[in-house]
Amino acid sequence: MSAGGKKQLSQTQAAWLLLTPFLLTYALFLVYPFLRGFWISLHDWNLLAVAFNPDAKEYVGLRNYERVMWGRNIAWGLFAAPLWQGTGLVGLVLSVALVLAGRLSRFNAIALGVISALLVLLPGFHPGEEGRWYDRRFWPTVGNTLVFVGLAVPGVTLSALVLAAAMNRETRAMGILRTLFFLSQVLSVTVVTLIWQIMFSPRQGLIANITETFGGTPINWLTDEQFAMAAIVIATIWWSLGIAMILFLAGLQDISKDIYEAAALDNAKGVKAFWYVTLPNLQRTITLVVVLQIILHFQVFGQSHLMTQGGPNDTTQVLVRYIYQTGFRDSELGRASAMAVFLFLIMGCFSIIQFIVGREK
Amino acid sequence: MSGVTLGNVIKRYGDVQVIHGVDLDIDDGEFCVFVGPSGCGKSTLLRMVAGLEETTSGKIQIGPRDVTRVDPAERGVAMVFQTYALYPHMTVEQNMGFGLKMTGHPAAEIRQKTAEASRILKLDDYLERKPAALSGGQRQRVAIGRAIVRGPEVFLFDEPLSNLDAELRVEMRVEISRLHKEIGATMIYVTHDQVEAMTLADKIVVLRLGRIEQVGAPLDLYRDPDNRFVAGFIGSPAMNFVGGRVENGAVHVPAFGGPVRPEVALPADGTAVTLGIRPEHAVIDRSGDGFTVELTEALGGVSYTYLTAGTGEKLIVEERGDERSTMGDTVGLRMEPHRLYLFDKDTEARIR
Repeated sequence: MSAGGKKQLSQTQAAWLLLTPFLLTYALFLVYPFLRGFWISLHDWNLLAVAFNPDAKEYVGLRNYERVMWGRNIAWGLFAAPLWQGTGLVGLVLSVALVLAGRLSRFNAIALGVISALLVLLPGFHPGEEGRWYDRRFWPTVGNTLVFVGLAVPGVTLSALVLAAAMNRETRAMGILRTLFFLSQVLSVTVVTLIWQIMFSPRQGLIANITETFGGTPINWLTDEQFAMAAIVIATIWWSLGIAMILFLAGLQDISKDIYEAAALDNAKGVKAFWYVTLPNLQRTITLVVVLQIILHFQVFGQSHLMTQGGPNDTTQVLVRYIYQTGFRDSELGRASAMAVFLFLIMGCFSIIQFIVGREK
Repeated sequence: MSGVTLGNVIKRYGDVQVIHGVDLDIDDGEFCVFVGPSGCGKSTLLRMVAGLEETTSGKIQIGPRDVTRVDPAERGVAMVFQTYALYPHMTVEQNMGFGLKMTGHPAAEIRQKTAEASRILKLDDYLERKPAALSGGQRQRVAIGRAIVRGPEVFLFDEPLSNLDAELRVEMRVEISRLHKEIGATMIYVTHDQVEAMTLADKIVVLRLGRIEQVGAPLDLYRDPDNRFVAGFIGSPAMNFVGGRVENGAVHVPAFGGPVRPEVALPADGTAVTLGIRPEHAVIDRSGDGFTVELTEALGGVSYTYLTAGTGEKLIVEERGDERSTMGDTVGLRMEPHRLYLFDKDTEARIR
């Protein structure tokens, strides 16, 4: 370049030049839609009306947020939701106690403390006398989503960890098994839900057949309020096991063989070695998998939409499905956007946690 | 405390046999070094004693106990690995106490034993650190401490100093030697470094291709090797070898341009032999001829002169004093007949 006396790009200029295509795409398809969504959430915005007449929207400030999350005569009490708030209080006491005992790092203590405080605070809100939520379905939907995440994330993490530990061997059979377990990951949600709808079917499903073989009465998985969420969680675990398993396998292969030999001489084999050597060395991978899964599963939509249609009686209604219905069935785009911003905040928090934990040595 | 006995020990991986019937007695409290080139099976043999490799056939005894099929943790051995193999998530103190914790010893006893080990190894200032915050030498100390804490009957070292720099290696070598005197336990030590072998061992076991070539005290192996391999392996720089043939009661060596008469019982005329002479036992004769000086390495106290004979065979000669050969010189060699070693060219066995 320099030979012919041509103008040479500095390193910074070259960097910007190479980054430009990405930055443009990023701005156009992610930053702009996000800002636009936030802007929409500040308006009373009917999808159809605005489509035909761009002026048919009205700036309403934070009214949409109030309409979604708040109500009339909302009161706060320490005993409004004893189970959640009790758990939160225990968590608060525990975080203080563990810090005093020196068993918890500062970061973990703060994380536990903040989560516990939120558990005490948020479920305490409830409609007082003569009061009611403006949107009766929003908070139960958030609750359903939390329950889904709370079941699916540990489910995926634990089963992926166990599978990875069992398959961490360099044999051909293990290679085939790994591929098989990963295969479900490449299926689309439509196929996965179809497979599991058949599996769960009380007439022809595999599970029903097995139950009948052992003399039981088949469960109506998808239409029983007690089992519908469990069914969705099971299908989800089966579907998203692969990536977590691959991450764990990578983590496991990072642990040197020598350490296991030293452990064998130190009388730590099998389960003991797993507990004292494998798990502590996988801590970072576990954190990564958990946070990735949390972010992923907060956005659950397809499983609920296709398997149970949010039912029975709204027990599997989840946040993204509610946003979708509010926006595109009820045409309340402003309110739907407000909910989407709320979801964004939740996932943003977990992304930040992931970022901080990733930096910690 | 106990010795270790190997009886016709064999190791096979599928069709490939790597240890071919090893018989060995290691006495109680002895420092035994397995030495040999890469792939000779020395590490495999050590790992079989540890129980980390299964023994295909034969018998391994520690003291009076047959441990051939016993779990590694129950053999009463502790091992120090080349890569240290410390638990990265534990502090120095936890690393050293882990074995006792796993066997259910009370915390007070573990603390007392780790304190004792850290005193011996001067690790007191590092007990709360994790391995990542230690230097290579310190990590190896911790690995040794972990072995000491378990109070084993036999210590096993698998090339423990290979990952250290030269200076630390000497320091740790002295330390391991001191440790052996202080503890008095049986130790088996694997290395490919013959200086470590010579300086540490009570008994050296020279291995090649899964067989024992010779067992003996370091100086016995140096003075009286059984075969050409041991003669070449022990001693630094290695012994020089030149080809020859027995003729008329003398050994005719083309490289020397004439017959030599080593003080051994010569085989029949016509036998092809290899003549061995250590670099420190040959003397350069500046007025002689027959060899060209290729290179000299001056190390201060001694220098090594690389010679090429008329036959193309190469030799190294150690010179002391200030006078040194220069490149391109033509020189001769003198040697005392009783310093010459003679080997059968085909079987490589020593002719005594």
